[in-house]
Amino acid sequence: MMEPKMIDHLFRHQFGKMVSILTRIFGLEHLDTIEDAVQDTFVKATIAWRDHVPDNPEAWLTQAAKNRTIDLFRKFNAEKGRIPKIDHGPASMAIYDLFLDNEIEDSQLRMIFAACHPALNSKDQLSFSLKTISGFSSKEIASALLLKEETVKKRLTRARKAIQTQGISFEIPQGNDLPRRLNRVLEVIYLIFNEGFHSNRQDILIRQELCGEAIRLCKMLLKNTFTNNSAAYALFALMCFHAARLESKVSPTNEIIDLEHQDRSQWHRPLITLGNHAMIKAVENDEYSSYHIEAAIAAEHLHAHSFKATNWEKILMWYKKLYDLQPSPMTLLNIAMVTLQLGDLEEVHQLLIAIDSKDLEQRAYLYFGAWAEYYVQKGQKTEALDSIDQALELVKNEAERQFLIKKKTNHYGLR
Amino acid sequence: MKDFMLIFIGTNYAELGLSPEQMQGQMGKWWSWQAKMEESGVLKGGHALTPEVKHISGADRTVTDRTATELKELVGGYYIVQAKNFEEAIEIAQDYPDYEFGGTVEVREVMVYN
Repeated sequence: MMEPKMIDHLFRHQFGKMVSILTRIFGLEHLDTIEDAVQDTFVKATIAWRDHVPDNPEAWLTQAAKNRTIDLFRKFNAEKGRIPKIDHGPASMAIYDLFLDNEIEDSQLRMIFAACHPALNSKDQLSFSLKTISGFSSKEIASALLLKEETVKKRLTRARKAIQTQGISFEIPQGNDLPRRLNRVLEVIYLIFNEGFHSNRQDILIRQELCGEAIRLCKMLLKNTFTNNSAAYALFALMCFHAARLESKVSPTNEIIDLEHQDRSQWHRPLITLGNHAMIKAVENDEYSSYHIEAAIAAEHLHAHSFKATNWEKILMWYKKLYDLQPSPMTLLNIAMVTLQLGDLEEVHQLLIAIDSKDLEQRAYLYFGAWAEYYVQKGQKTEALDSIDQALELVKNEAERQFLIKKKTNHYGLR
Repeated sequence: MKDFMLIFIGTNYAELGLSPEQMQGQMGKWWSWQAKMEESGVLKGGHALTPEVKHISGADRTVTDRTATELKELVGGYYIVQAKNFEEAIEIAQDYPDYEFGGTVEVREVMVYN
């Protein structure tokens, strides 16, 4: 027997699909029962397939989901004291239609919108999405988001409770509600992506999975005519551009490599092309979002053949636009760093003193890292050393700490 | 060559709350192991067992239902493999995928009476 192969993440993705379809049939109030039932299907498949692998595992799982539907109908109706006959006849036809590809996607979109409902706490939205749409276990979510498993479980319980008590409907909102909720959906997707992309956790696999999930979810939005607005296209492009660099950000020994020292030949070209195509769609009308600008910045970095060849003026222009649209201390810090590349030290000084490091919260160490860079440019070694030590005091992540220490010794010649 | 039975005890994926991804991963390992044994020609047969248990006991043959959750020592499946001796059978059992999830393998020689 040849060792059978299965599509990567088939179970995980199939889990999300099955939960969405069944929720569409039975309603969000039965989510717990549905998830247990789907989980049970996978347990059974795992055991049964040890000896005999079906020719088409995906089709097998879909069939299993259909069977589950009938089981659940019996279960829910038996609770109400009636026994339905839906395993044949027109009712079953209507239900089986929900298992067609486009209907599956529609069900999954509904789940994304339910997960991003304002009744849910924003932190809970993230965990709930990963669990219900992407089939992550609480343990996997905890590991991916660097949280305690207990915290994740609490968030999931709170999200479910909110769904129950607020009677959230399982549909894509219409009219005025749509743009607002879609914005939040995009934010949550971008948060999932950033957890993967910026998290300095060393396990590159988990990071790739988070980025992959975010891209997959965004792609679902792009396939639906109600949800594929230009912001969604721009976000898709932005994530492709970032993801193209993901692997070159970490050395084989798990050290962080900054943009200047990344091997640009390792950047993933097909993703860049995909991003470029999405960008063309994103600018088909006049609407533009912060994702457009961030994508433009990311694209500018990708266009440069070397760090030296980077068009910093253009990047500075985009960051300023971004700041006008969405002022944030992080963007201001980025403006300062780009200005440093342009050599306008006076301006960098002005910008840096205008930022309050507290506003940067857990990223405050970046602020002192920026001061260190500034003092190095000025040739003020003592001040540079003080700044980098301040950064080292604030940095929590081990990989970042190693990066700063390395910078201190190698690049600045400071000890 | 002798026949040995490898009996798999005590792993219940449902109880462990494994994620779909983990389950897929475990299944991949079962497949690799099975393929490896088939390639080397040591695998004679075997089955996975469903967790439903009917317990028959006593002179009056009382039948009781035992659900998997009640049984910590549930037999989940078995393989029959060919090996020269226990050492070789134990070597084959090294690739059993569920040790990290609390699973146990019991190795028993099939008795031949002659």
